[in-house]
Amino acid sequence: MSATALWGWMVLIALGISVGGVAWRLRGLLARPLRPDRSPARGSAWRGILYAFTMGMMPWAKESTRQHLLPYLRGVLFHVGIFATLASLAVSPWRLSLPAPLAVGGLVLTGIGAAGGVIGILMRIFDERLRALSHPDDYAAVALVTAWQAAGVAFWADPRWMAVFYGLSALTLVAIPVTKIRHCIYFFFSRFFFGLFYGRRAVLG
Amino acid sequence: MSELIQQALTTFEKSLDRRLLASLEVCARCGICAESCHVFAAEPEFRNAPAAKAEAVRRFYRRLHDPIGRLFPWWVGAKDLREADLEELAEIAFGACTLCRRCTMNCPMGVDTALIMRAARAMLTAVGKAPEMLVQLADAAIAREENLEFFREFYIDQIRELERELQEQTGDPEARIPVEKAGAEILYVALSGAHTILPAAILFHAVGADWTLSMFEAANYGYFLADIQRAKAIARRIVDEARRLGVKEIILAECGHAYTVLRWEAPNWFDDFPFRVRSIIEVAAEWIQQGRLPLDPSANPEPVTYHDSCNLGRNGGLLEEPRIILRAVVQDFREMTPNRAENFCCGGGAGLVAVPEWYEKRMRAGHRKVEQIRRTGAQIVAASCDNCRLQLGDLSDYYGMGVQVSGLMDLVVKAYLAARRMEMAVPTASVPVSA
Ligand code: SF4
Ligand code: SF4
Repeated sequence: MSATALWGWMVLIALGISVGGVAWRLRGLLARPLRPDRSPARGSAWRGILYAFTMGMMPWAKESTRQHLLPYLRGVLFHVGIFATLASLAVSPWRLSLPAPLAVGGLVLTGIGAAGGVIGILMRIFDERLRALSHPDDYAAVALVTAWQAAGVAFWADPRWMAVFYGLSALTLVAIPVTKIRHCIYFFFSRFFFGLFYGRRAVLG
Repeated sequence: MSELIQQALTTFEKSLDRRLLASLEVCARCGICAESCHVFAAEPEFRNAPAAKAEAVRRFYRRLHDPIGRLFPWWVGAKDLREADLEELAEIAFGACTLCRRCTMNCPMGVDTALIMRAARAMLTAVGKAPEMLVQLADAAIAREENLEFFREFYIDQIRELERELQEQTGDPEARIPVEKAGAEILYVALSGAHTILPAAILFHAVGADWTLSMFEAANYGYFLADIQRAKAIARRIVDEARRLGVKEIILAECGHAYTVLRWEAPNWFDDFPFRVRSIIEVAAEWIQQGRLPLDPSANPEPVTYHDSCNLGRNGGLLEEPRIILRAVVQDFREMTPNRAENFCCGGGAGLVAVPEWYEKRMRAGHRKVEQIRRTGAQIVAASCDNCRLQLGDLSDYYGMGVQVSGLMDLVVKAYLAARRMEMAVPTASVPVSA
């Protein structure tokens, strides 16, 4: 069995571990009480929730993101890169038969993500406030995801990097439920509760 | 683990529902919420950033609930909660956060730092580490119900005094302030002192409302303590009174946290809650829109700005009603920037104004508000929350702003009485004011 095929299997095993870990995290969350709100709503909960996931995420929607526009956009691009790297992983077995424009697109998007990651690490190291807020886990998580995206770039540039890309993919997948990366699981719940709260109270939405 | 810590953590576990857990887990430590907090804006030190305050809770949460936090605490900043940490936590949760949720609005993840701080307050109250003054005020409110017979006569005497003033102001010798009137449509719940009773009584008289005054005050210090048992006991007095009298609606005086408690929280605490709850500002805005109140805005010629209370505005949705009122009753209304849901907290909310030793702290925390008011050039700051009004008055003295602080209803009454005087001279029909 080639190294790439071996790592391909490792990715599948890591995916299983990751899914199990995420399910365990979700179970922990869903085991907690929800405490439904019985007060009569003033506004629409659903409009609030829709706002929370759409217009409420726009850079102009919040004073904080207007003030920190570049760091926010960096974060957005970093996360776009993450989705692109995940998509790259999904299509990787067919890499050689994919049309060239798709490969270029994959390379650009993972490249943007990796650049966003490098800037993010530098900001965390040099910005006093971010340094004070950060734990080793924060640096390690961004570094791992950035390395994974960089491996995605290399994979699109030259398929011989596939084994490295798979290795880092396996590591990243396993890291999701146990490192800071897990905030992606809670993001949907947190924004949902945010939209629900402010939608019912007719503040947003 | 000491018994005290055990008790604190047991209380924390009870607070740990899905919303709180999501807020504890989701923070990406991006730090962009910092400037949105008025405490940080006034003193830009790391410890004042919302994420830094929440970290005081996340530290022990991770130690308890995160496998990595249990195995390698240093890796994720996890730490056991110790007795020595409780004092610091009290300074943060009670003294450095007014639960205003401005940071929540500004967090891309939607982290509810106020909810995290409330969980901290609940556990601190449970272990006797809450500010003594807040505990005393909450317990005094509960004791009032237990000793109602003792208070009743004295209270009713005071109301009769006030009734004479009402008759004088309205020119109607039959004008009444009904107390414990069974079958009334409205139960009006005021705050302690005549300043929230008389203006409302004048307006109820103006529209011919069928109302009765509550024996209890709307303030609920149990809510500031995040002590659900105390908060419920205080709210229950009003809920029981409303049930006993058979009213259809509870109308609250201008008070931010009382609105949060009775409008948004109490329906979750009591199985039988068959009344509508509104703030007097919703009701007054409605009357104005219906043209039921003749108003003369020239009675309030000075430039007026409005401070949105966090509980009524950002967290209660009463964003337009105050503006409907002000546009109808003052001549020169000036918005402060930012306003409505983005408004800055005055720095005195969530019980801070009641704790004397935190005077300097809240004066510093109010600095952003002072800047906002100054930029408007207003001579009067209207606010529809008693705590905000106290804080704004103190800020005016402390920073030499020379502004007058007024309740919305005081401005409405001034405009109404002026219009009535005019009507008596030349009778005219009142004209509806559009929103
Ligand atoms: S609370 Fe929100 S804005 Fe603040 S650091 Fe955490 S994720 Fe960022
Ligand atoms: S809730 Fe208000 S006071 Fe508390 S941290 Fe957030 S912005 Fe600051």
